[in-house]
Amino acid sequence: MSNRNPLDYSLNKPLVTSFNPFRYFFKDITLVLALIAVLIFGLAMLYSSSGQSFSMVMRQSIYVFAGLIMMIFISHLKPDSYKNILMHSYWIGLLLLIYVLFNPAEGYTTSRWIDMGFFQFQPSEIIRLILPLSIVAYLHRKESKIRLEDWLYTTLAALMCSYLVFEQPDLGTSIIVFTSGIIPIYLAGLPYRVIAAYLGMLAIVSPFIWSSLLDYQKQRVLTYFDSNVDPLGDGWNIAQSQTAIGSGGFFGKGYLEGTQSQLNFIPESHSDFIFSVIGEEFGLLGITCLFIVYGIIIWRIFKIGLSAQSPFERLACCSLGFIFLLFILTNVSMVIGIIPVVGVPLPLISQGGTSIVVHLLAFGVILSAKRPQL
Amino acid sequence: MRTIQDLRRDEKDTQSLRSRSGVIFFFLLILIISGVFKILQLTILDRVNYEAESDKNRIINVPIYPARGLIKLEDGTLIAENIVTKDLYIKTKLYKSSMDQVEKLRNKVLDENRKIDQLQVSIQDEEKIWLARNLSEQELAKYEVQKNSIPNIQLEAKLRRYLPHKNLFSHAIGHLGLINMDERLSLSRAEYPDDSFIGKVGLEKSYEKTLRGKAGISLMEVDVYGNKIREINRVFPDKPFNLTLTLDLRLQKIAQEELANRRGAVVALDPTTGFIKALVSSPDYNPNILNGSESGSPVSQSSLEDSPFFNRAISGLYPPASTIKPFIGLLGLEEELITESTIIEDKGFFQLKEEGRKYRGWKEDGHGRVDLKKAIVESSDVYFYELASKLTIDRISAFLLRFGFGQISGIDLINESKSILPTRNWKLGNIGEAWFVGDTINIGIGQGYISSTPLQLAVSLSAIANKGKIFQPKLIRNNQLDDYEPDLLMEVQIKNPKHWNIIEKSMISVINSWNGTAHNLYEEGGITIAGKTGTAQIKSLTDQDLTVREEYEGIRKDIKNRDHALFASYGPVPHPNLVVVVIVENGESGSAVAAPIAKRLIEQYQININES
Repeated sequence: MSNRNPLDYSLNKPLVTSFNPFRYFFKDITLVLALIAVLIFGLAMLYSSSGQSFSMVMRQSIYVFAGLIMMIFISHLKPDSYKNILMHSYWIGLLLLIYVLFNPAEGYTTSRWIDMGFFQFQPSEIIRLILPLSIVAYLHRKESKIRLEDWLYTTLAALMCSYLVFEQPDLGTSIIVFTSGIIPIYLAGLPYRVIAAYLGMLAIVSPFIWSSLLDYQKQRVLTYFDSNVDPLGDGWNIAQSQTAIGSGGFFGKGYLEGTQSQLNFIPESHSDFIFSVIGEEFGLLGITCLFIVYGIIIWRIFKIGLSAQSPFERLACCSLGFIFLLFILTNVSMVIGIIPVVGVPLPLISQGGTSIVVHLLAFGVILSAKRPQL
Repeated sequence: MRTIQDLRRDEKDTQSLRSRSGVIFFFLLILIISGVFKILQLTILDRVNYEAESDKNRIINVPIYPARGLIKLEDGTLIAENIVTKDLYIKTKLYKSSMDQVEKLRNKVLDENRKIDQLQVSIQDEEKIWLARNLSEQELAKYEVQKNSIPNIQLEAKLRRYLPHKNLFSHAIGHLGLINMDERLSLSRAEYPDDSFIGKVGLEKSYEKTLRGKAGISLMEVDVYGNKIREINRVFPDKPFNLTLTLDLRLQKIAQEELANRRGAVVALDPTTGFIKALVSSPDYNPNILNGSESGSPVSQSSLEDSPFFNRAISGLYPPASTIKPFIGLLGLEEELITESTIIEDKGFFQLKEEGRKYRGWKEDGHGRVDLKKAIVESSDVYFYELASKLTIDRISAFLLRFGFGQISGIDLINESKSILPTRNWKLGNIGEAWFVGDTINIGIGQGYISSTPLQLAVSLSAIANKGKIFQPKLIRNNQLDDYEPDLLMEVQIKNPKHWNIIEKSMISVINSWNGTAHNLYEEGGITIAGKTGTAQIKSLTDQDLTVREEYEGIRKDIKNRDHALFASYGPVPHPNLVVVVIVENGESGSAVAAPIAKRLIEQYQININES
């Protein structure tokens, strides 16, 4: 990106351009179209991967629709008007994480789900995006410079959430949660001396932390990184999803023709492993197209972010852009078997209403950073 | 309003954001690059492997087994067929805890004539205990009603081997059984899955390949749970061949009926073709039980101790006893040691030298002046003691070998025993002793080391009936054509063919002469039968101080020590079409016990031939 004269930015633009209602309404047509393209593709893949369940697609469509409306709504708000809400939403997320440990939904071996009667959701899905946004809001709650203790508070906030997720137990997600918390802190300009202090502390404290962990916690950590131990049958799952992607080849087997997915060889094919269904049915070509659209989305996020006016907006956009990219990479890496299994869905595509809605809310925040085009 | 300072700060801020973004992006780039390589590896480099893997996942080969080949008689009567049986079973591990359900099944579902004890004897698979085989319509209806109250008992329909005549052909046809470990080693799981039935004995075993045919394959697409989704392709199985039996239903029935569960065997064959017309070993068993097409016990309680699964007709080794005399007589003529009119004085015993051991005949006072004919007709032992001692074992063995003694006939059944034809070397090797003349003398009356199976005796006798030719004995006609060319097994060439007639005449006189040992068979105007009785001694009469009778009475007390009754015969002369060998273990009298069976068979066979 070129290094522009700051003055160009506000003065060289014509004061009055022709009014485009679409551009006014959607703010960034490229981004919104790319989002809609991915969402529709996601619904189609959901149909294929859910054993052609129309009702599941309908359910998901409702969330998509509601999410889009909320996204457009938020995109027209001024960041200052919801900054405080974002900041305090951290506490809601934290309460949910605590709540789920004591009142998990029945029928699961882990405490990850909250049962709301008519639907179930994972608080970790929400905290993954709430945490970075509230951290950004907290760091830029005032115009003034960020104080030293702010770095500490925000780091603690991220650690707290991460620990609660670890207790669910879900080590993979707890790492993801911590990463999504630390990205905005780092981007906001976490001083390198603080980073050095953190690392120094980590070096000193980690042996103590390790020894203070209970046996089952240690076991959990060791198991997670030991590829020889396969308590959940992840190895089989990965082999099946690799087989699906590999057998899809360059052109894929065709929509609804993927034998691995249609015959249920891929576990969780409609949620975390939906990427392998895409690979099997649309091949390398389909994967590449999807990545291109994802790439467009990320490009627009950074484009909006780096040209936004307030530090809050810039930080929010860049953080969300990286987190979005991180989620995609984590999910894909897991499905193709280069990292251990982590419960991260493929953004905007995997089944799961909560994840879709929260992502679209985040995109609302991103879009709101774009100046309304008159 | 934004000031220049604001803009400057913004600019600085953005700079920092950009550089820090670069750092994060650098870390994510590691994931991006490794991900791209992995995806390329999966979809391009290793694609073929994964395609194969994917097909292996979803496509399974389901073998299609053709129904087992049928076995029929020449007239088309079914002897072995396949029926769909509806069977009830219980999982072995549930059996103990479900006794109340079994009891209920017994009381409310099964017919009363299914004996209660039969429930326990059924075949046990590894996992299932079969409670009742081949349910009747009524039982099936009752089961449908009770089904829910006996949930551990389940129904299975299967194609199973069924012999409509049950026991009658058991030793010829044999039975099937669950594949065992030894068979597993040489047979693929594709052809024979673990629960397959395979021929265990009899024709079912010797023609296993032919009867089973070749399995076809159905390529099925399955989902991850193994549910069949659709058939992709199908290779049809090779139809197995049906077999045509040479046996004669009526002869089988007569033989079975006459043996009446006594230990014994009957072999009847057509000397002009080698076709076996009757092959019965008694006691017998019900192959259907072992085939799983009927429930109950395969053998009757009374025959349990009499080895009902032992095929005496082809595996039982018995001393040929006096039935060997025509062969020895023929050899004597051939070697010109005797003529038709050579006379020997039979005083009731034979001694090699004065004061030597006395070899006694069965008749204490002897037969007086005996020529060859009288020796065969009255079965003089002394005549043949003397003849054998002159012939020597070498000549006897060599001659008998030409008739098939000491060999297997090669009938199309498994477990045929090789009869024993002793020689000097045989004794040295098996007994570890030199051959004595005394041994030869015993051989002269078919006792001692020599032994025959009923089948081998019949095959050997067919040489006399045929004047030399022996045809390969067979149970299955491998050629359906009428102008069937029988397989010549061997041909006995003798120096003077007249000698055949001398022997044959003597054997006819065994029945036709008033002094013949089987004169009880004689009937004015009846068909002419040539035969020879035999009484195979189990305990040899050796004690010289006792009279034959005293000694014999002592031995008789134990049934198992009584002599075996033999009768070897053929008829009708001059164009014999049936050779019959009958042996009744511990039956004592060849003439009274064995001979009438042979006669009935030969007579019945003539009726059968005239009918067809």
